[in-house]
This record gives sequence, structure tokens and C-alpha cells, in this order.
Amino acid sequence: MLLFGIDLDYLAFGVLFCVGLYMVVAKSNLIKKVLGLNVMQTAVFALLVTSGMIDGADPPVRTEATSAPFANPLPQAMVLTGIVVAVALTAVALALIVQIHADYGTIEVDELKEAP
Amino acid sequence: MRSVAVRSAALILVVVLIGVPLVVTVATLPAHGEADAPVHAAVADRYVEHGVAETGMPNLVTAVLLDYRGFDTFVEVVVVFAALMAVLALPRGDLDQDGTPETGGDALGASDSPVEVSPIVFYVVRTLAPFIALFAVAMLYRGHASPGGGFQSAAVLAALFVVLTLILGRRRTERLLLRRARPWLEGAAPLAFALVGAAGMLLGGTFLSRPGTVDVHLVQETMGFALEIGIAVGGAVILARLFLTVER
Repeated sequence: MLLFGIDLDYLAFGVLFCVGLYMVVAKSNLIKKVLGLNVMQTAVFALLVTSGMIDGADPPVRTEATSAPFANPLPQAMVLTGIVVAVALTAVALALIVQIHADYGTIEVDELKEAP
Repeated sequence: MRSVAVRSAALILVVVLIGVPLVVTVATLPAHGEADAPVHAAVADRYVEHGVAETGMPNLVTAVLLDYRGFDTFVEVVVVFAALMAVLALPRGDLDQDGTPETGGDALGASDSPVEVSPIVFYVVRTLAPFIALFAVAMLYRGHASPGGGFQSAAVLAALFVVLTLILGRRRTERLLLRRARPWLEGAAPLAFALVGAAGMLLGGTFLSRPGTVDVHLVQETMGFALEIGIAVGGAVILARLFLTVER
């Protein structure tokens, strides 16, 4: 499906990525920045998973219930890796934010700039 | 007030300047959903045609994850382990350094949850908990042949741990992590990969190879299952500890 000559799915991923980007650059709350990072990651994952899909294909699980064509399993496996790395990144970022809050009493970037 | 408006306009300009070229570039990618797209040209046919015979796993995503790209997954679990190490290295990170602050229990018993536990939440979680655990085990056990697998099972187990902590308080759920075995549980995923990889070498193959013929998959399946168990246990324990560390 096309919108302005651009595939609607691709447009949606781009918009989602920009929403995340705006959160990262515009919000001064560190947790919202991390959330924005996750939204950006979700856009990339959605793009990758979509690239592996074939219209009308079955999921890449070979049982009696499924038949060819099968979706490409490689992007799904790679996105699974990406999700796990994103979890690791989010965990470290949140732990750092907790530490920052314990040390400075705030997680707002503009207040942290004025902190001693 | 005016500076705020200027700042917002500048930010939106930055996002548009990055976003428009991004969308235009992505739009020039080959259309998705077609069988002859370049992404399907390289290795996908091999996985779909021979994946089950070569790996013994009808779930081809698991086959790619644990077999064809086993090294990738090995380093991936090391990344998660390294994330836990990084979090624990922070001054607030170590659970064993200081005791959990004592907060009084509430009417529902020995919960030390910092907020009062709603009875509805308490009974819903208590009723659903065995089924959540069963679902995690089922996903682990059937992960090679149906949607699921070690990572998914780990996520469900960790979610169960989180909701249990919300109703029971961390002092009681921390015991589930078995203090003495904890280092082994946290490292379960990299350890499983290292051991199964070494076993592959002992059985005459290369690191992480899993011997098997087209018809006999017993050794192959056992080694794959060992990897899945390692990923599920290690992943769940690491996620639970990350939660406990960040939650304080």
C-alpha cells in the first residue's frame, strides 16, 4: 500500500524512528531518553522483520500444519539477537540513571548541568 | 518563553532533517513481501530446504539461532552477562553489600513490598503464577519445534519473578535466586555454550557442532536442549537480578 508514493510500512517505520529520535533529543528526563532509544530500536527491528516476510508465507516452523513458502528465518533470528542486546543496553542505562538519581537527586539533564 | 519556542522549533527541524532523508532512503529499498526480494536470495533457501535435516529443529528460527549462527548467540549471551556485570559494578549494584530496607508487612502477610498490595492483584498473580511458570517450561521444551525457545522462556520466567516480587516483596523472592548457586545460575547461558561447544569438539566436530544424521537426532537434540536450558535459566536469573538492582 502506497502513501505519497512511499510504501506505508516503510513510512510507518520512519515515523516511529523519528518519534524515538525526538524523545531522545527533546526530553530532558533521562528515563524518557532511554524510552526514546527503545522506540528507535523497535522501528529498526520492525523494518528488519518485515524484510524477511513473503506475502502469504507461513512462519518458518516446519510441521505438518505449515507449507511452502516459508518466511525467511534469518532476519527473525537476527532481530532476536538485537532485542536481547537492546535489553542489555536498557538495563545498563537504567542502572546508571538509578545511580545518578542516588548521587544528584535528579534525572533531569538541565538540572544535572547546574549540579555541583 | 520565546527561547522555549525557538528550542522546540530547532528540535523539530533537526528531527525533520534526519527523518525525511531516512524515510526517502528506506523507501528506495526493494519492496517487501515478494519471494524474489534480494533478502531471500542468499542463505534462506538452504535453511528452509535442509534446516530440519541438518539441525533436527523444525523451528527454523531456533535452528539459525543455535546452529547456523551459534557463535553469534554465544557472544550474545556473553553481552547480557557483561551487562549484569556492569550493573553490579556500580556502587549501588551489589545486593550483598547492604541489607534490604525493612518495611512493615501488610494485612496479606509477610510482604515487604514498599506499596500496599491490592488484594485483586495478589489473588490474580497467585492464581496465575503456576500457569505462567508452566507456559515458560512449555516454551522451553517445545522451542525447537514450535514458536518459543530459550530467550522467550527466560523473558516469561523473569516477568513471573517481577510480578511475584510486586506482591511478595523482594526479601522473599530473592531466595528463589539461590544465593550459593547464584554465580553459576547467572553464567548459565555462556557456560552452557562453552560446555556444549567443547562437547562438539570432543565428539569429533568443530566448536558448537552437533553431530547427527538425517534420521538420528538424539545427541543433536540433547545438545540443543542443553543450550536452550542454559539460555532460559541464565537469562531469567540475569533479568531478575537486573530488576532487583534497578528496583531499589
